[in-house]
This record gives sequence, structure tokens and C-alpha cells, in this order.
Amino acid sequence: MTTGPDISPIFLFDTATQAAIPAELHDSINDQHLADWEAEWMPQLFSILRTLKAEGVERRLCPQSRHWNWGEKTKAIEGRLDNQCFSIVCDGVTQAMMITELTHRARLPDQKLDHLVYVEFVEAAPWNRSDIIRQPPRFSGCGSILIRAAIEFSKLEGYKGRIGLHSLPQSNSFYANKIGMTDLGPDPDYQNLRYFEMTPAQAEAFIKEGG
Amino acid sequence: MGRKTMTLNLTDAEMAVLEEMCAKKDLSKTVLMRQALRLYQRVEERLENGGKLFFENEATAEKSEIMML
Repeated sequence: MTTGPDISPIFLFDTATQAAIPAELHDSINDQHLADWEAEWMPQLFSILRTLKAEGVERRLCPQSRHWNWGEKTKAIEGRLDNQCFSIVCDGVTQAMMITELTHRARLPDQKLDHLVYVEFVEAAPWNRSDIIRQPPRFSGCGSILIRAAIEFSKLEGYKGRIGLHSLPQSNSFYANKIGMTDLGPDPDYQNLRYFEMTPAQAEAFIKEGG
Repeated sequence: MGRKTMTLNLTDAEMAVLEEMCAKKDLSKTVLMRQALRLYQRVEERLENGGKLFFENEATAEKSEIMML
């Protein structure tokens, strides 16, 4: 990770009260965030998986990030300068986490081989994912805020807002339609996951629309 | 994000390459040097773990190893 921890004030939208709730954007994933993942996220995720199994839902329709181990992921990049972590904390609990990487190059013809911030992993807490809890999330906007953080980090590094990522199938529509990234199609070198990329112009459009 | 400042002494030739790379990539000298350090760290880690550094030509699939001293 490139720097010491920093915390920025942000707001999350509480769907129950329809109110903006003060939250924190951390440029780190620390032991407390990992403890939340283990003690808060995992039990709820297992509960959801049990329900889906009991209902006979196909495995491909289950949360595709269910095997992600944030403890192992952060341990593997400890001390690396080319990785930067981010997390969102609200109501004293970690609501979402992201790991970015800085040595990938752009693929779109207009920015081919330019530097960008590559989003390696991004995940919201199970209670913030309407796609798996099948009801409104507790806090909406976690994914968009972390993508915005990746864009701002890209600008800070001199990469002008360029970002890229491989999307799990359940998130393809989010990145294409909500975030406004360009879909470069399945990547045979990366488990055939679709690769999405954002140009500086797309980043500005996303920010202008309130992203 | 915390930052520390240092003075970097380069030869004319090294500075010329740095400026050329900065112009080509549209990056500041600081950003480019930080990127170089990240790559150096990553390559060193892979080599220490027994890896080799290759470049592959996408068109011909030809691989060439970079000798790291």
C-alpha cells in the first residue's frame, strides 16, 4: 500500500429512513475492517447461501464473490507499493471494501498502454446488496462511492481518472449502465470475465451525474 | 496521504530519458519515478520467489526473457 491511512468524510443513503448518514472513506483495510468482514459479513452471507440452497437456486445465481477471503487478499499485498486499499465505515461497521492496483495499462484504442487504476476487488457488505438479499439495501451507493474513490485516486496518481476492471457476471450491468464504463467483452486471459474500462471523459461524466 | 520529499541527482542522459518518458506518457517526473519504484518492487518480489521476467509478442507468441542482474 502506498501511504499511511487517511479518512475522508462521506455520506451513505439509508434506504429505510431515506436520509443521508455520515460515513467514512478509509484509504486502507485494517484489522478492524477485516474483523467486521469475519464477524458481520460472513455469517450473513452464509445465511443467504443456506436460504438459496434450500430454495434450490442454481450455484451460478448465488453471490459470485462468496469465496473471496479479504484476510488472505490483504495479506498477499502487504507492503506492496502497487496496491492501494479502500473501505467504507458507517455506524461503526465496515460497509464495503476495495483493492486497487497500479501497474495495469489501458486497452481502449484512444488510451492504449496509458496508466490506469485497476480495480482488483470491490465488494459491499451482504446487507448492502439488493441483488442477494432481495430487498432494498440498508445503505445504497457503496459501489458507486468506491468507484468514485478509484477515479479520484487515478487523478491523484496522474492517470486522469482512467480506471479498469474485470467484472463478475452479476455486476456487468452495474459497470456498463450505472457507472458508464466501456465494455471490451470477455477476456480469455482472465476466466472470460468481461473487461470494462473508463476514459477521463467517462470519469468526468460519472462525477457530473453525481457519482 | 503522507508524502516525503527527496532530492534526486541524475546525469544529463538520465534526465533526458526521464523527461522524454514523462512527455510520452503525459506524467510528471514524480509520478513516473513512483511508478518505476512500484514496478521494481514487484519484479524484485517475483524474482526472489523464483520467477522469471518475460515479454511475449502478442502477434507471434514469441517470448524473450529479460536477464536481471
